[in-house]
Amino acid sequence: MFRWKKLGKVFDPKQAADRAWLQEFAQAPCALLFEDFVRVYFSCRPAPDARGQYVSRSAFVDLEREDPLVVRRVAEEPILPLGGLGEFDEFGTYPVSVIRDGAEIRAYYAGWTRCESVPFNVAIGAAVSRDGGTSFTRIGNGPVLPYTPDEPFVLSGPKIRRFNGEWQLFYIAGRKWKMVDGRPEPVYKIRMATSADGIRWTKLNEDLIESRIEEDEAQASPDVFEAGGKYHMFFAYRYSAGFRGRERGYRIGYASSTNLTDWVRDDSKAGIDVSAQGWDAEMVSYPHVFDLDGRTYMAYLGDQVGRHGFGLAVLSGALE
Amino acid sequence: MSSMSFRKLGRIFDPAAHALPAGCLQFAQAPQALVLEDRIRVYFSTRAVDREGGKLRSHVAFVDLTRDLSEVIGVCREPVIALGGLGAFDEHGIFPMSVVRVGDEVYGYTCGWSRRVSVSVETAIGLAVSRDGGASFQRIGEGPVLAASLHEPCLVGDGFVRIIGGRFHMWYIFGTGWRRYAPDAEPDRTYKIGHATSEDGIQWVKEEARQIIDDRLGPEESQALPTVIDIAGRFHMFFCYRQSFDFRRNSARGYRIGHACSDDLEEWHRDDENPRLAGTPGEWDSDMLCYPNAVECDGRVYLLYNGNEFGRHGFGAAVLEEGPAR
Repeated sequence: MFRWKKLGKVFDPKQAADRAWLQEFAQAPCALLFEDFVRVYFSCRPAPDARGQYVSRSAFVDLEREDPLVVRRVAEEPILPLGGLGEFDEFGTYPVSVIRDGAEIRAYYAGWTRCESVPFNVAIGAAVSRDGGTSFTRIGNGPVLPYTPDEPFVLSGPKIRRFNGEWQLFYIAGRKWKMVDGRPEPVYKIRMATSADGIRWTKLNEDLIESRIEEDEAQASPDVFEAGGKYHMFFAYRYSAGFRGRERGYRIGYASSTNLTDWVRDDSKAGIDVSAQGWDAEMVSYPHVFDLDGRTYMAYLGDQVGRHGFGLAVLSGALE
Repeated sequence: MSSMSFRKLGRIFDPAAHALPAGCLQFAQAPQALVLEDRIRVYFSTRAVDREGGKLRSHVAFVDLTRDLSEVIGVCREPVIALGGLGAFDEHGIFPMSVVRVGDEVYGYTCGWSRRVSVSVETAIGLAVSRDGGASFQRIGEGPVLAASLHEPCLVGDGFVRIIGGRFHMWYIFGTGWRRYAPDAEPDRTYKIGHATSEDGIQWVKEEARQIIDDRLGPEESQALPTVIDIAGRFHMFFCYRQSFDFRRNSARGYRIGHACSDDLEEWHRDDENPRLAGTPGEWDSDMLCYPNAVECDGRVYLLYNGNEFGRHGFGAAVLEEGPAR
């Protein structure tokens, strides 16, 4: 089992509440290294509208490289505009995953639209930054990864990677909408696609991670990290019903692979769980692993899927 | 190029005169023909009213007609395909469905509708397969085969498929965007005709937002429901087009039939006048002509199409004749 030492919560949206678009949540952290700081992208929300509905925005917080528990700066504006009328990202951009591409930074993000019979649908878009990651422009006004016969809706949770000269996109695809206490809840599974240019994608069209706790287990945040000669995936999973509390809420799972497509799940190795008390006592989710100056960190969310911010843990030893 | 003209056969199917499946009462939209040994089967979309909310859902049915389209043989008793499940792209209707024979099977390319909140609808193209000669269709998956993509942001629909030279070709429409033309108006959409190809009819490669038919009405022309047919070695496309707003009741801005031709399936030359299909004053197609479908049977080329009110009152046909245009 890996041993993660929790360092505590790093960023709470209350720290930046003078920004109207950043009132609650700091979800789905994603790190990008700069010379003397670590930029962590996350998704947040303004106050809900009169009908209690939220939109999601995405932004970043810069952490001191020498001590990533110290916040240096919070973005002044969201990094991405919301989409236009009827576009796939009209009502939210959450989550975001970024990667350097030469002098540019590429972002893959999930765009949210609102539907009549189910509350929402989600699709994955692509955007590019030419100002060092402060702002991003959409590459197109539609999604970069279309729905297909076996991935009919709710394409979300993108994690962009480049191994072996190829682009990989790990993401989740909705399997079904399940009625839970009269309310439709999506069941989704971890999938992947590959590309030569990050624009035209070929889907593997298979579930990467077998379901463990129940057939309708929902899986999210497939965060892939290469270390010790193989690939490690930390991800989040939960029950399909009653998941807003401690017993059936998100936990962090683990799988490994030597070829990126065949994964062996072993959650007993994940090495991080809910705390007895504190900000992450009910759930832990949306893991993101990154290396920083010889140490391996995991950014993750606590209770209510990041309503009160994200925290960091540091690995004792190495991933192997 | 020789000139062509239409001889109109009038309305050939009136939905009000027949029992329709699924409790549908009106509409026989987007006729799509499949030539069978002893008849022509024409699929169409008809509408049922939701018990709650009163909105409409389109279901696909068919009517069998004699091979000269002069007589109705009968209407199916059930829709040929169930609508999609909760949250699926085709949950709130299928309109239209276009058919093509592939070996012993019939492929039905569906345009599925799902309702949205800020705009009325999103669409995508699905594939359903019939192994009983076109009586019933089963979808190959819960999701679409062709949907919104990077530069085709919404409203991919109206897929029409033919196998030409061993390759699947699809002509379809993609939305270029939604717009509110007045502050208190519901949003209206604009769409254009595009083209995709495939080896198997399932995995498609789009030309990605290349509009293949020139606008006649300018950038706010909406183009819909392409149909392509080979006539004497030349490809002809019929489609319908209209203004993007105030097109429902204002006849001058409503649907008309357009036409283009091509020798290579790459470049299309638009020529709505040869042949031109015009409405007949006082008749069922006096104010609107839309949703064409070209079919060849017994040496004749027919164009099926809808008239006034987007096909509320059924569909008619015209037969193509060569000769000097009048």
